[in-house]
Amino acid sequence: MDKVFDFRGVSFAYPGREPSLRDATFDVGEGERLAVLGANGSGKSTLLHLMDGLYFAQSGEVRAFGQRLTPEAVERPPFGPLFRKRAGFLFQNSDAQLFCPSVEEELAFGPLQMGWKEEEILRRVGDTLGLLGIAHLRDRPPHGLSSGEKKKVALASLLILSPVVLLLDEPTAGLDPRSQGMLLELLDDLHGRGGLTLVTATHDLELLPHIADRVLVLGEDHRIAADLPTERALGDTDLLLSVNLIHAHRHRHGAMVHSHPHQHTRTHDHAHGEGKDHLH
Amino acid sequence: MHIPDGYLGPQTYVTAFGVMAPVWAWASHKVRTTLRLRQVPLMALGAAFTFVVMMFNVPVPGGTTGHAVGAVLVAILLGPWAAVVAVSVALAVQALLFGDGGITAFGANCLNMAVIMPFTGWWTYRLIAGRSPAASKRRWVAAALGGYVGLNAAALSAAFMFGIQPALAHDAAGRALYCPFGLHIALPAMAIEHLLLFGVVEAVVTGLVVAYLSKSEPSLLECALAPSPAPGGRPLWKKLALGVAALVLLTPLGLMIPAKLGAGDAWGEWGGDRLTELAGYLPAGFGKVAALWHAPMPDYAPRGAEEAALPVLSGWYILSGALGVLAVAGLVWIARRWLSGKETDGIAS
Amino acid sequence: MGIAAALLDDGLPAGRRGWLGRIDARAKVLGLLFILVIATLVTTLVPLALCVGAAWALALFGGIDIRRVALALLAVPAFTLALAVPASFNVVTEGAPLVVLCHLGGGHWGPWRVPEFLTVTDRGLFVASRFALRSAACVSLASVLAAATRPQDLFKGLRGLGVPAAFVMVAAMMTRYLDLLVRCAEEIHLAKLSRSLGGVSVRREQAWAAASMGELYRRSRTLADSVAEAMVSRGYTGEVHTLRQGRWSWRDGAFVAGCLAFGAGLLALG
Repeated sequence: MDKVFDFRGVSFAYPGREPSLRDATFDVGEGERLAVLGANGSGKSTLLHLMDGLYFAQSGEVRAFGQRLTPEAVERPPFGPLFRKRAGFLFQNSDAQLFCPSVEEELAFGPLQMGWKEEEILRRVGDTLGLLGIAHLRDRPPHGLSSGEKKKVALASLLILSPVVLLLDEPTAGLDPRSQGMLLELLDDLHGRGGLTLVTATHDLELLPHIADRVLVLGEDHRIAADLPTERALGDTDLLLSVNLIHAHRHRHGAMVHSHPHQHTRTHDHAHGEGKDHLH
Repeated sequence: MHIPDGYLGPQTYVTAFGVMAPVWAWASHKVRTTLRLRQVPLMALGAAFTFVVMMFNVPVPGGTTGHAVGAVLVAILLGPWAAVVAVSVALAVQALLFGDGGITAFGANCLNMAVIMPFTGWWTYRLIAGRSPAASKRRWVAAALGGYVGLNAAALSAAFMFGIQPALAHDAAGRALYCPFGLHIALPAMAIEHLLLFGVVEAVVTGLVVAYLSKSEPSLLECALAPSPAPGGRPLWKKLALGVAALVLLTPLGLMIPAKLGAGDAWGEWGGDRLTELAGYLPAGFGKVAALWHAPMPDYAPRGAEEAALPVLSGWYILSGALGVLAVAGLVWIARRWLSGKETDGIAS
Repeated sequence: MGIAAALLDDGLPAGRRGWLGRIDARAKVLGLLFILVIATLVTTLVPLALCVGAAWALALFGGIDIRRVALALLAVPAFTLALAVPASFNVVTEGAPLVVLCHLGGGHWGPWRVPEFLTVTDRGLFVASRFALRSAACVSLASVLAAATRPQDLFKGLRGLGVPAAFVMVAAMMTRYLDLLVRCAEEIHLAKLSRSLGGVSVRREQAWAAASMGELYRRSRTLADSVAEAMVSRGYTGEVHTLRQGRWSWRDGAFVAGCLAFGAGLLALG
């Protein structure tokens, strides 16, 4: 299995701030589905920015497709444009990602930068919009779209370049349940058919089983706390408690008050001394 | 302050485009080299921010409200050259999509609000703020004064553009083709309005926004985009002095060129010798000085200026311009002294 | 603020804007701006009145939203009229008195000479009508252009006419985010309204407005940084590339030719 990303002892800090990522070492194989899990401010987003060559490691080394990512490398051809084509970044804020005056121009932006032929671009715009079922939005300006439509257009603007890896920053945040379901289905489809590598940053435990086979857990000390399969991560209550993804849940059963770790998302049963077992 | 279409004749608006062309070229070069990949979004959001600032109605004591232009604020936040681009784009969108400000007058509006205003305001701000820390009181007082000076400089320039229309462009019968108000009306009307009302709004907005940001996010004021303040302040003084001197000297040139090129002939059949007509549209006060108190004036036009030749007229323009500049410079100097004195007192005690 | 949002967000596709809406943006910009420039050159009343008439005819029979032209025609000349009326007085434009309005008494007021009577003069009346008519002509032509062209097409058209790509992209991106910032400002405004029942001092209100603008600036900067990242992530390296423009149809050519002929005719009238 080829490595898409390879991090060796990577640290990063915004100018004048505490490091937002410390000594990260891991790799991502081709076709893998990885989730970066952590509480707000744990450095998930920083990690994705480092993967996409938007930030650069201050110590350690980030490699993508075998090439070390540096400010020069991601700008110089042939690697620069190739890297930008292969790695797509879905931003959490769709408004930031849709900066063109119409959906058509939005999709054409990436290919135009790559210097594709105009006829080819226009054909691909049609195909990609069709694939996502949003052909009717082609001529619309991005600001009247619903949040679900915006997310789809943003995704389409990445898919038109046929990327090898998608970096998704909280992809379902702010979407209604229906749009969430459609997005997850679509990502699943893309992974299954095209062998797309997916890296998703999230703090949403419910999302995990749908989008990842492996989980990288970031602690509040901005270090990688664990790197393990999804099922094991979700079962490890102590781990999730220690990185603040679940909280001790205090509640009352009749006259008795007790507290236990609580995930909100999965049902779990537990027993009280009086034998009144129940399910949350 | 947004000059609509039809207020300025082609001599003025074409000249304004001519002045703006190299300024735009230089500004976009500056912005491209300092901001590189961030230039497009930063300029776009800067322009959108300017647009929204112009939509805010700010109350002033006395029950009225006015809106700020925001060009000095943008110059303080993003640097003066970036302000040239951002404000120009905001004005272009206002003219094209909202009918606010003319399309033919776009160059003139940019000259006033996207060049004269941010630069005079920013220079004033830098001179008073010096190298004071972002959180100091001196910063926002400097910003308020910068807003006031910048807006009034822009208004003065706009008034000048209006005021020279009747003399610059009229038909064979001598009737004004465009803005019918001469300098004797345009200058005082704009000056009073802007010195007393809009200048105050601009000062309030510029000062308070800088004060707010210096408290909540001072890093936004220490922006790397603005050229760093000149050490010691002297080069800045020199720059300001040179810029102002150039403006003052260029003013009569602006009157002479159309006459020399015969631009007036096509529109009003008047030659260089009839340029003294301009005097009729000058505030009579200028004439008073010109005639060295030979008042009272026999006619609408002051007697002294009526007979004045072009060089003499130009001389008075320079003199009056220089007097105004001296007055502003004096004010800035006093503010600077007063504030820096206060600040050292504060540290000492 | 509602006006800005409404103007930017009518969401009508180009094809549903009548025949004028279907004309290529380049042709509209070229043709209408040509007439607009002619309107600043002519010196008599007839061609100016014809300009206003042409703008109204385009608005009425072009299938565009007539309300926008009407709004522009009513709002801006109201301002111009306030300036045009005094231009007809003898204190601004000297000439033979037509109507005597009041007795001013002559003498001097500061550096200004005050005439004996305030009158409407023949020359003044002509100057004022020409000034008002010229403003009306320019404003209605500009508003026809804006109403008949979607913002995104207008910028594309400017690009097609040789305006630098970087400038066009900044302007287009600005309009795209204008709506967002306006809504953001409205949110802050509503939050303030709900907190300030009853009178608030001018000082407080000023401080509040400034705080909203400061907050808006902070959000604009954050957004600008994210947009820059999104652009770079999709391969932007500082050069702006845009899609080529569509071909001109005979309709577009005919529209420009018509505008040129009309403009030339106006110029011939004086």
